[in-house]
Amino acid sequence: MRVNDEHRGQMAAMSMPALIFTVGMIAFPFIYTIWMSFQLYSSTGQITGSGIGNYQRMVGDDEFWNGIWITFYLYFLSLALQLVLGTGLAMLLFRAKRLPGIVRSLFISPFMMPPVVAGMMWLVILDPSLGAANWILTSLGLPASAWLASPVWVVPTLAMIDTWQWTPYVALIVLGGLQSLPPSVYEAAEIDGASRRAVFWRITLPLLLPTLVTAMVLRSVDLLRFFDLIYITTQGGPSNHSMTLNIYGFRTGFEFFRLGYASALMVTLSVIVLGAVIALNRLRAAVEW
Amino acid sequence: MASITMRNLVKKYGAVTVIPDLNLEIADEEFIVLVGPSGCGKSTLLRVLAGLEAIDGGDLMIGETRVNDVPAARRDIAMVFQDYALYPHMTVRQNMTFALEMRGMTAAEIQPKVEEAARLLDILPYLDRRPKALSGGQRQRVAMGRAIVRDPQVFLFDEPLSNLDAKLRGQVRAEIKTLSKKLKTTMVFVTHDQVEAMTMADRIVVMKSGIIQQVGSPEEVYENPRNLFVASFIGAPSMNFLPARIEGDEIVLADDSRLPTALMAEAASGTGEVILGIRPEHFELVAEGQGLAADIDLVEPLGSDTLVHARAAGQEIIARVSPDLRPRAGQRLWLSPVAGKAHLFDPVTEERINSQLRQNA
Repeated sequence: MRVNDEHRGQMAAMSMPALIFTVGMIAFPFIYTIWMSFQLYSSTGQITGSGIGNYQRMVGDDEFWNGIWITFYLYFLSLALQLVLGTGLAMLLFRAKRLPGIVRSLFISPFMMPPVVAGMMWLVILDPSLGAANWILTSLGLPASAWLASPVWVVPTLAMIDTWQWTPYVALIVLGGLQSLPPSVYEAAEIDGASRRAVFWRITLPLLLPTLVTAMVLRSVDLLRFFDLIYITTQGGPSNHSMTLNIYGFRTGFEFFRLGYASALMVTLSVIVLGAVIALNRLRAAVEW
Repeated sequence: MASITMRNLVKKYGAVTVIPDLNLEIADEEFIVLVGPSGCGKSTLLRVLAGLEAIDGGDLMIGETRVNDVPAARRDIAMVFQDYALYPHMTVRQNMTFALEMRGMTAAEIQPKVEEAARLLDILPYLDRRPKALSGGQRQRVAMGRAIVRDPQVFLFDEPLSNLDAKLRGQVRAEIKTLSKKLKTTMVFVTHDQVEAMTMADRIVVMKSGIIQQVGSPEEVYENPRNLFVASFIGAPSMNFLPARIEGDEIVLADDSRLPTALMAEAASGTGEVILGIRPEHFELVAEGQGLAADIDLVEPLGSDTLVHARAAGQEIIARVSPDLRPRAGQRLWLSPVAGKAHLFDPVTEERINSQLRQNA
C-alpha cells in the first residue's frame, strides 16, 4: 500500500504519544541502569565513575555466584516440573474434550492469583508447626518438613509453589497446541499401526515441541527473574539458600543502597534472560515443522 | 490382494443414519471409484473400510475375513488422505518407514522397500526433505509412497487429487491408473469429480444419501444411467432434461415439437408423461423444421468443440457442436438426438423407463 506524505505525517503524529511513552518508560530506565552499572554510588548519594569496577567485583563475589546457582537451580527445577506436569494435564484435558466451564475456570485460577496472595497462602499452609502441609505429612506417618525454613528444601519448595501456580498456564498453552494438531495425521498413525506410546513419543511430542518451546520462553522470562514469591516467603533465606540473583540485586540496591553494584547485577541478569530467550528462539526454529 | 464384501452395511452418527443398508462386492485387483456429491456418504464408507469409523450393522469382509471389529492397523489396508496427512516433522524417508518400523521390521528390510517405492514414484531426490519443502504434487506422491511400501491388500484413496491444480491433477490421475496396473492391488478411490471417476475406474459406484444409485463400468454408467440422478451426475456438461409426453410412437415436447420414439435408447409406446434426457454431445443438426428449434443464448468455444447454450422446448439446454459450425448467439439451430442415445425417465420415480434396452439401438 502506498501512503502519501501528508498521511505519513499524520501517522507519525498519531503514534508519537506511544513512542514517547515507550522511550520514557522502557528505554530510559534501561539505559539509565546500564549507565549506573558503571558508577559507584556512595552512601552520601555521590555518584562517581568506576568503569568496569562493578563487573570486576562481581567475578570475585561469592554471593553473586550463589545467586547464579540458586537462580538456575530454581529455573531448571521449576521449568521441568511445569513442562512435564503441564503437558500431562493438557493431555488429560484434551482427552476429556468437553469440559464444564467451572472446571476450566478452576484450572486457570492459580495463575490469576497475585503472587503475593499465593505466597501468603503457602506461608500459612507450609508453616512448620501450624500449617496443613506438615499436619498431612504427620497424619500419614511421614516426618514433618521445615519446608521454606530448610536450607535443603527451600528451593524445591519454592519450585513446587511456582509449579502449583503456573502449571495450569503451561497446560493451557499445550492444550492449544494439541488442539491445533492435524487430526488426519493421527488417523494415518492409526492405520500405520502405531501404539499409543509410539503415537505420543513419535508423533504428538515432536509435533508439540514448537508449542513447548513457546511455553518455555514465556516461563523462562518469569522464572529467571523469580522475585515476588521469594520476597514474600523467605527473602532469600535461610542464609542465602534461596537468594536468587534478582533478590540479591534487590537487597544490594534497596537495603544496602549500593545502587551501582545492584545495577551491574541487574544488567547481568538481563543479559542472562536475553541470552535464554535468544537460545530458546533458536531452538524453536530448529524444532519447527 | 483381496476382495471386499459389504453386506447390509449400516453406519450411523448418533441419530443420523449416513449409510442405511449398503451391499457391494469389490473384486480382487479391481479399481473401484466411489463418486457422488458431498454428503453422499462416500468418504464415510471409505473410513468405515479403513477402520477409522465403527460399523453399526451388517458385515464387512476383506478377503475371507470379517473385519467389522478388526482395528485399522490390522486390516492390512493403506490410505491416502485428502490432505495427505504426512507426518510434518519427519522426512520423506521417515514418513515412508514409519509404518514398517511399527511392524517391527529391521532397517535392512525397510531400506530396499523405500528405495523401490521412491524410484517408482520418482521421489528419490526428496527422501531427506520434510513435507514442508515439497510441492503439492510431490507431497501427493509421498503419501502414495507411504501407502505402497506397506504392500497392503487394499489401497484407499480419499479425494487425493482435490488439492492439486488442474494440470497436475490430470497427470497424477494417469499416474495412479498406471500404478494400479503395476501394483495389482484392490483400490477404492473416493471423489466428487466425475471426470476422475470416468477416467480411472474399472467400475464406478454412484452414491447419493448413503444409497448406491448405480454400479457399473464407466461406459455403462455413462451410456445407460439408471436414474435421473446418475444421468445428471455423470457427464460434463450434464445431461439435458426436457419434460415431454409420449403419444403413440411420438414424443411431444412442451413447445409441441415432436420426436419419433424410434430415436430413443429405450423402447417406449402408449401414452404418458416422461422426461427426455439427451447429453450435450448427443445432438445432431437436422434440416430446418425438423427436430427441436434451439435459439442460441451463448456460445462457449472450447477449441476441440463448441458448447452452445440455447432455449429449446421451453428449457435451457446445452449442445456440443462442431467448432466448424461457428454458431452465433441469436441464431436458431435445428437439433435432434442421435439415434439410440436419448433416454426416457419416469418423472415420478426418476428411474429410467423400461430399463430393457432396445436391442439394436
